[in-house]
Amino acid sequence: MVKWKESGLIILAGLIVGAAAIVLVLLGNPANMGFCIACFLRDIAGGVKLHTAPIVQYVRPEIAGLVLGALIMALAGKEFSVRGGSSPMARFVLGFCVMVGALMFLGCPLRMVIRLGGGDGNALLGLVGFAIGIFVGTLFLRAGFSLKKSTPQPMVEGFLMPAVAVGLLVLLVGAPTLLAFSESGPGSMHAPILAALVAGLVVGALAQKTRLCMVGGIRDALLFRDFHLLSGFVAIFVAVLVGNLILGSFHPGFAGQPVAHTDGVWNLLGMVLVGVGSVLLGGCPLRQLILSGSGNSDSSMAVLGMVVGAAFCHNFGLASSTDGPTAAGKVAVILGLVVVCAIGGLNLNKQK
Amino acid sequence: MSTQIATFHTHFGAIRFHKLCKSLGDPAVMMPVPRALSASCGTCVRFTAPFDPASMSHEDLDSVYAVEGDGYRLLFRNEEE
Repeated sequence: MVKWKESGLIILAGLIVGAAAIVLVLLGNPANMGFCIACFLRDIAGGVKLHTAPIVQYVRPEIAGLVLGALIMALAGKEFSVRGGSSPMARFVLGFCVMVGALMFLGCPLRMVIRLGGGDGNALLGLVGFAIGIFVGTLFLRAGFSLKKSTPQPMVEGFLMPAVAVGLLVLLVGAPTLLAFSESGPGSMHAPILAALVAGLVVGALAQKTRLCMVGGIRDALLFRDFHLLSGFVAIFVAVLVGNLILGSFHPGFAGQPVAHTDGVWNLLGMVLVGVGSVLLGGCPLRQLILSGSGNSDSSMAVLGMVVGAAFCHNFGLASSTDGPTAAGKVAVILGLVVVCAIGGLNLNKQK
Repeated sequence: MSTQIATFHTHFGAIRFHKLCKSLGDPAVMMPVPRALSASCGTCVRFTAPFDPASMSHEDLDSVYAVEGDGYRLLFRNEEE
């Protein structure tokens, strides 16, 4: 009974996340990008001028909403638990590498599912790579990988990331002249601030309640033959697919997909990097944001690593464009795979 | 024998505990931690051997619960500083 209630809740949450993604595109977000944690953190990095790529600069209210929605739900459920100190630097670097992989593919795992629901065949290669990466990550887990346990931290530590989220909203609404705003490209396309914030709050609260995680779904299926989290993943796909079919925006194929490229090998390898890095972090970029709003400062370090990683990706030409990957980006993905595997290998513990 | 669930701070902690249970002849299984017990998405171990904190606890162990119908009763919590 409890099991069915839990499954029903995560499937409902997945359907709502998918529906929210469709609505945000209708309201102005780029196509197949109702939600994308990697893209939105990248846009925020540009919005606060950590990079100056002119087409991807906008402080996305969805991100602040996700963090604050998780905070509210965690507080309401008496689950706000301030912990940290579990290899913070390794988490920062893993977050950085996950972003390098995501910007090779042009999307986080959540956007990968949303792209699949829009008919983008390139995301199938991404899904294969993602699953391979998660499989590699589970090999590290089985071999004794651990970043060591976190410990209780002072209360203020847990409120700093939500405070940053509030600060970004205050800047966006109260002092927009301090920020950079794209005039063309994906960064210029966005839903109204209030709608984006509300969508983020709802999805953040639901994701905290249900532990929705793109990585966790495939990881648990591989490790335990448990398909609970995977059902949320599938529900997002179904909702986006049905939404796109109803609106006539389902366009199956590989070429000409919105904010995507057709280089299959690098779509796949980018998501391998995202998969391995995310398993070692314990969750996908969405999950890291949710945990950072729930008092987990280790996840906040991963989020900061992703933001800085995004800035590097655009400052050094590592991010792909619709024209395809760059040579520097390919080198960065290979280096990223070496780095995450080194972090995985150097943190193996002997099994007694 | 009653069913118990042990929760951990790390996946590795679950692996260690699972091996210990197996060495005691317990048909223990690793699985995702039930939502009712944690907001985290970590790994827990379901086991039936009587829990002895002195010999079975380690630093990565969080808590041990008795499974009672659809609910759980806290048996042991590993104190932290």
